[in-house]
Amino acid sequence: MVPVGACLGLSAVLFAIGLVGFLGRRNIILMLVSVEIMLNAVNVSLAAFSYRLQDPRGQILALFVIAVAAAEAAVGLGLVLALSRHRAGVNIEDLTELKW
Amino acid sequence: MPIIAGQIAFSYLAAGSVASAILAVTRKNPVHSMLWVLALFLHVAGIFLLVGAEFLAAVQVIVYAGAILVFYLFFLMLLDLPREAAGPRFGAHWPLCAGAGLGFAALAWYSRNLRLVPNAERAVAGAPSLGSLSAVGTALFTQFVLPFEIVSLILLAAIVGAVVVARKKGTS
Repeated sequence: MVPVGACLGLSAVLFAIGLVGFLGRRNIILMLVSVEIMLNAVNVSLAAFSYRLQDPRGQILALFVIAVAAAEAAVGLGLVLALSRHRAGVNIEDLTELKW
Repeated sequence: MPIIAGQIAFSYLAAGSVASAILAVTRKNPVHSMLWVLALFLHVAGIFLLVGAEFLAAVQVIVYAGAILVFYLFFLMLLDLPREAAGPRFGAHWPLCAGAGLGFAALAWYSRNLRLVPNAERAVAGAPSLGSLSAVGTALFTQFVLPFEIVSLILLAAIVGAVVVARKKGTS
């Protein structure tokens, strides 16, 4: 009913948008949100494969991706909180200690 | 007729999700970005419904839109929002980023034709019963019960790790 190729194209477009957001935004929190957009794009393609192959394993992999995304959000935002305690702001361009 | 309705619904959901993703990445105010991400998650949940993944759609709404996004919004409230909205939203290297995104999209579009998806004779026309909760639950608690338990360990590690990383020094 729904063409699986269209689902995969949509997934690619969403992933590209998330990639641009992750590479380009200056705010660390919005970079993490872009990672969430990319994970969602992957979930779309997993659900499309699951639908096409009539196999529930794709949906289960997508569920695991969601769980890992929740863990990533907790740890990543904890890091952002620790970072914003030591210095003002969450601008990625201020973090240059590791730059040589 | 239901096929046409499904295609119309898919077209709307795809266009809405792409538009809200673009708006989420490009808005200046971080709170507006978050609200567009919420719209994106709800559209993606609709797509999950269309491909027969009802449980995934429910989890998407409850966990993503309900829990993770609210968590991010809480953290945004810790920021100095007016100052954040006043600065430039993209770094100076944004043309490179846009090029990387376009390159990835072109690559994915090209590999779309590479017959990565097997020609599924197994796909039954309009069989919506597969994505039902019972099939997913049966597989999750029989074949994938070990990964399921490992996910609970990952979540526990994430909770402990977030507390350890984010606590103030000296308060033990």
